Amino acid sequence: MTVLSEWGTYFPQLLQGLLVSLRLAAISLGVGIPIGLALAIANGSGGRVVRSVAVVLVEIGRGMPALVMLQLVYFGLPSLGVSFASFTAAALGLTLTTAAYTSEIIRGGLQSVPAGEVEAAEALNMSRFDTLRFIVIPQGMRVAVPSLMGFSILIFQGTALAYTIALPELLATAYSIGSSTFRYLSVLTLAGFMYVAITVPMSMLTERVELRLSRHL
Amino acid sequence: MTPEVLLSILQGLPTTLVLTAGALALGALGGIPLVLLRRSPVALIRLPVRLLIEVLRGIPPIVWLFLIFFGLPSLGVRLGPLTAGILGMGAISAAYLAEIYRGGLAAVNQGQYEASMALGMSTPDMMSRIVGPQVVRVSVPAVATYGIGLLKDSSIAFTIGVNEMLYFASSESRATTDAIGPFLTVAAVYILLSVLSAWGARTLNARLRRRVAR
Amino acid sequence: MEPHPVIDVQSLRKQYGEHVVLDDVTLQVAEGEVAAVIGPSGAGKSTMLRCLNLLEKPDGGRFRVQDTTIDASAPIRPKDVKQLRRSLGMVFQSFNLFPHLTVLRNVALPQERVLGRSRAEAEARGMELLERVGLADKPAQYPSRCSGGQQQRIAIARALALDPEVMLFDEPTSSLDPELGLEVLAVMRELATEGMTMVVVTHEMQFARDVSDHLIVMAHGGIIEQGKPEQIFSDPHHARTRRFLRAVLDR
Ligand SMILES: Nc1ncnc2c1ncn2[C@@H]1O[C@H](COP(=O)(O)OP(=O)(O)OP(=O)(O)O)[C@@H](O)[C@H]1O
Ligand SMILES: [Mg+2]
Repeated sequence: MTVLSEWGTYFPQLLQGLLVSLRLAAISLGVGIPIGLALAIANGSGGRVVRSVAVVLVEIGRGMPALVMLQLVYFGLPSLGVSFASFTAAALGLTLTTAAYTSEIIRGGLQSVPAGEVEAAEALNMSRFDTLRFIVIPQGMRVAVPSLMGFSILIFQGTALAYTIALPELLATAYSIGSSTFRYLSVLTLAGFMYVAITVPMSMLTERVELRLSRHL
Repeated sequence: MTPEVLLSILQGLPTTLVLTAGALALGALGGIPLVLLRRSPVALIRLPVRLLIEVLRGIPPIVWLFLIFFGLPSLGVRLGPLTAGILGMGAISAAYLAEIYRGGLAAVNQGQYEASMALGMSTPDMMSRIVGPQVVRVSVPAVATYGIGLLKDSSIAFTIGVNEMLYFASSESRATTDAIGPFLTVAAVYILLSVLSAWGARTLNARLRRRVAR
Repeated sequence: MEPHPVIDVQSLRKQYGEHVVLDDVTLQVAEGEVAAVIGPSGAGKSTMLRCLNLLEKPDGGRFRVQDTTIDASAPIRPKDVKQLRRSLGMVFQSFNLFPHLTVLRNVALPQERVLGRSRAEAEARGMELLERVGLADKPAQYPSRCSGGQQQRIAIARALALDPEVMLFDEPTSSLDPELGLEVLAVMRELATEGMTMVVVTHEMQFARDVSDHLIVMAHGGIIEQGKPEQIFSDPHHARTRRFLRAVLDR
């Protein structure tokens, strides 16, 4: 059997796994980034208490390896009577990681909005909420876009960690084919190519977006 | 969370540190040829190296470890878990660090090259004595940040059976009724380590800055 | 009897740490009056203006703008801040337009959010004002596509759109080429003739002399001289004023 025909037989199954990985990444980013934004705002403009809470949450989220987060949610929480299916546990863990990391990225973006514009809004009598909503967030998020895209690539790669909590994503699917056929190298290589097929175009796109944004600023 | 659990997890600390330091050292060295080839004027060299860097960074670390640990034996290459871990994480690090060095090279003033050449220095001399040290200097913060990330990522080696901290946390968790305690403990250790190493990196950076300023 | 002043500042004081930046500043501006504030760099002119709309919090004294009184010794209520800023428009040296919004949106958005005008209403009023500052052909442009002089005129339109009773200007032409500065000064002159009450911090001595009704000379955080511009320009009382005027007029 040639490698190519072998890959032909693995591909449909792996594709199913890839779709699970993509769905997991999409949910983690879709929920995590808004939380990251909220944390960034709390960190930048909340009162002392709110700010400290946000800082601590972010430090914990960033200091903890994503894999530990997943293990904790999936294997640890049941001892407190909370158990999740593996997809939910994976989504929860990666969402928390996303929130912590993106809050720092977004905070950098928000801080890049010139103080003069915020002052102008203040002098125009706009409320702090309106200033955030119409002036700071639209511009700050734009600045953060390339870094958020770069981070999204990492989170997509991070979905492979869900293999350890029995989620049938791409790596888990490849591994299980490997353990029944003993053709680990072949199937893992194909899986590797499938990851690359997503991450490399994404990273090229990120570079272009970064260039475009820097040209326009 | 008990002292016994903490002690058990700390048994894995040396391995975590060896794994991180080994991979970082491998990456720091391996990144140098990668970045030099990546900047080659010859497209036939530059493009494949660029592709290699993209692929090294584009495949999740855990997949690399699996490829090395479970895949390579079919080619007759059998590595222990720790060796596989260091090699895998080291190769990925080389690609990331090559990109960091590339940024550092771009930051070196064009005038430095011109001055070196005007002084009649050879290219290797110029790179190793004039440009290299400056690149190292501007790359330090990014390399340190990468190293701290690597410390956390080293936990992935647990999946191929390396006896690092998460490995012990996981077996403690399965051995006792307190399933969550060991994970909370290991998380706390990682957080402490990142805070400490971030502080160390800042100090190192400040010291280097003072030396350059002088 | 003197008419009731629109702005009445009594013993205003502001300090950053130990550094006293405004000390015992007292002044009045009557309705329809144009007050020009001049003085060397670091005199505290910007700080005084920024205290008036509470972009900086004063540390002592009190002031009144129309019906809003702010007393630095008492806590300042958010309601008073809103009411105070309601009657004040501010124009900055660096324009501070919102670069992600078109020219028209820059002028319309604050009206919608602050005065609750509908979008159509706000944009109609915005067009009216853009026309008045000579920029009727620019509504769909982004600020970065406009010259500095145009940007500053847009900023003036944006402030006017909220129907302020007093306009504060902080060196509105200092970051502009002289020629572009003239466009802005022309708009300000017109505003003055229409009877707008204005406080203008400026280095444009000609504007101060020709347009203002009231000249305030500041140095070292205090007002060293104020009165009729013709009188101060021709016969300054204070040696510091004389030195300053000689330095700027001889350039
Ligand atoms: N945020 C601040 N913190 C500390 N000191 C400040 C601050 N803002 C202003 N100052 C100081 O207050 C003094 C007055 O500054 P201000 O900007 O009011 O002067 P100015 O008269 O407007 O000068 P210029 O003509 O240069 O604009 C200066 O000595 C300045 O250094
Ligand atoms: Mg000033």
